[in-house]
Amino acid sequence: MADVSKTVSAPLYSDGAESIRAEAGRTAVVVDRAPAAKCSVVVEKGASLLHYRFCGGTDAAVDAVVEEGGKYEVLTLQTAGGNVGMTVSLAGSGASCRSDAVYVLSGGEKGSFVSKVAHNADDTVSSQLIKGAVAGTAEETFEGTVLIPPGHKGIDGAQQHRALLLSPTATVMAVPRLEIYSDDVKCAHGSAVGDLDEYQLYYLQTRGIGEEEAKKVLVGAFLNEVTDGIFDETLKAEFAKRIEAALPF
Amino acid sequence: MTAWLEIKDLKASVDDKDILNGLNMTVNEGEVHAVMGPNGAGKSTLFNVLCGNPHYRVTGGEVLFKGKNLLDMSVDERAHEGVFLAFQLPVEIPGISMATFMKYALNAGRRAKGMKDFDAVGYMKHVKVRSKALGVTDEMLKRPVNVGFSGGEKKRMEMFQMAVLEPSLCMVDEMDSGLDVDALKVVADAINVMRAADRSFMLISHNRRFLESVGVDKVHVLVKGKVVKTGGRDLLEELTSFAAYQEAE
Ligand SMILES: Nc1ncnc2c1ncn2[C@@H]1O[C@H](COP(=O)(O)OP(=O)(O)O)[C@@H](O)[C@H]1O
Ligand SMILES: [Mg+2]
Repeated sequence: MADVSKTVSAPLYSDGAESIRAEAGRTAVVVDRAPAAKCSVVVEKGASLLHYRFCGGTDAAVDAVVEEGGKYEVLTLQTAGGNVGMTVSLAGSGASCRSDAVYVLSGGEKGSFVSKVAHNADDTVSSQLIKGAVAGTAEETFEGTVLIPPGHKGIDGAQQHRALLLSPTATVMAVPRLEIYSDDVKCAHGSAVGDLDEYQLYYLQTRGIGEEEAKKVLVGAFLNEVTDGIFDETLKAEFAKRIEAALPF
Repeated sequence: MTAWLEIKDLKASVDDKDILNGLNMTVNEGEVHAVMGPNGAGKSTLFNVLCGNPHYRVTGGEVLFKGKNLLDMSVDERAHEGVFLAFQLPVEIPGISMATFMKYALNAGRRAKGMKDFDAVGYMKHVKVRSKALGVTDEMLKRPVNVGFSGGEKKRMEMFQMAVLEPSLCMVDEMDSGLDVDALKVVADAINVMRAADRSFMLISHNRRFLESVGVDKVHVLVKGKVVKTGGRDLLEELTSFAAYQEAE
């Protein structure tokens, strides 16, 4: 178990953690460079947990419960095949969750990102920004469920998924799923899969940037939106480095 | 004066539609040329073909730039030779700042010349002198490329890129359209400051006052993908309407 009982502002490295608990009222930052197949997370009342996961090649699931007023922010990077996923239960009123992810697959890799966020209490907020780039003959499946059971009010859920296909043989299957059974709900979602913008590519090339580098710059710029907000510069740089290394050019 | 750019019998098409139909033009070292003509004549197409926009297919003719076969080069190689296009409608690139974009571009050009990348101080110095001269603020340099810029600001940023990259053939596509008097002055000043014995300009414009303030050496009239008339500055006075040229065809 990761020891996050103290309030920490610097990242705590905890590779392969099978359970993480952010104690009531505390703030914790946990970085996992080798996520376990299953990790259970509890964010207690009023606690905040920032959770960064570097996944690739193995399956890695998170099962999280966020209690009253708790805040869970998880950012997952998937740089190779394998099934990555998470289920989050916003269990207490005022609980919130942000579950962003970046995936980069190339060659013949097959991966999936499956998430399910359940708003099980009033006034809960969730947001999710997933961005991916897929090359070669790689295949990614994104399945994102936002569940709002009956009888809740003041719910706000947002989900955006955007992916770039870097080769004509790469595929992304996106299955966004909103299951809304309450009335007082704000829910925005969208999913788009497309190619690199040829006009942007041309613009960079007219400034002297070679085709390969221009592609790298554009894919990086596209994916950056997800990682831009990382508070710790070292950690942000590690995301950028791993993303760059996973790109096929 | 030596011929800087020689365009001989250039033919180009897009989607099997012929747009340039045997175009001839010579621009000497250090000269400023105006390219005028009715809408749809092929002016922007000419600039894009010279840059190597893959959307256009060259179906005949020859282009020599400083004695080298321009049409054989990739888009970025042409930029390294000094070809630059200030776009009428610059593309937005979220996720990458103008400062970072120009660093990539400058360093790509330096590497092509066998030089080392700029160090941080050298780069900042190179950029700051030019941003200050053109009224480009630090905040504008930090903003993503062209995102959220007004029409006038985008054009200012095109001029800024031109100043940073110091090209030897500056093609400027309708920089003056839709600008107020002040913004127009920024563009004209940028061009006047950059005028040099080893730098030529081609300006697409319908604005006689703008062309006079820049002091053009030659004026070409393009109709249906051909140069139908070439003359000196005095030709500007004649060109109150292009309708006559269109009818004469
Ligand atoms: N990317 C393009 N795709 C399709 N048609 C184009 C494209 N660019 C230009 N054209 C066509 O080529 C002709 C010339 O266009 P353009 O070069 O933009 O003219 P100008 O700049 O002189 O107004 C027009 O008929 C225009 O519709
Ligand atoms: Mg045009």
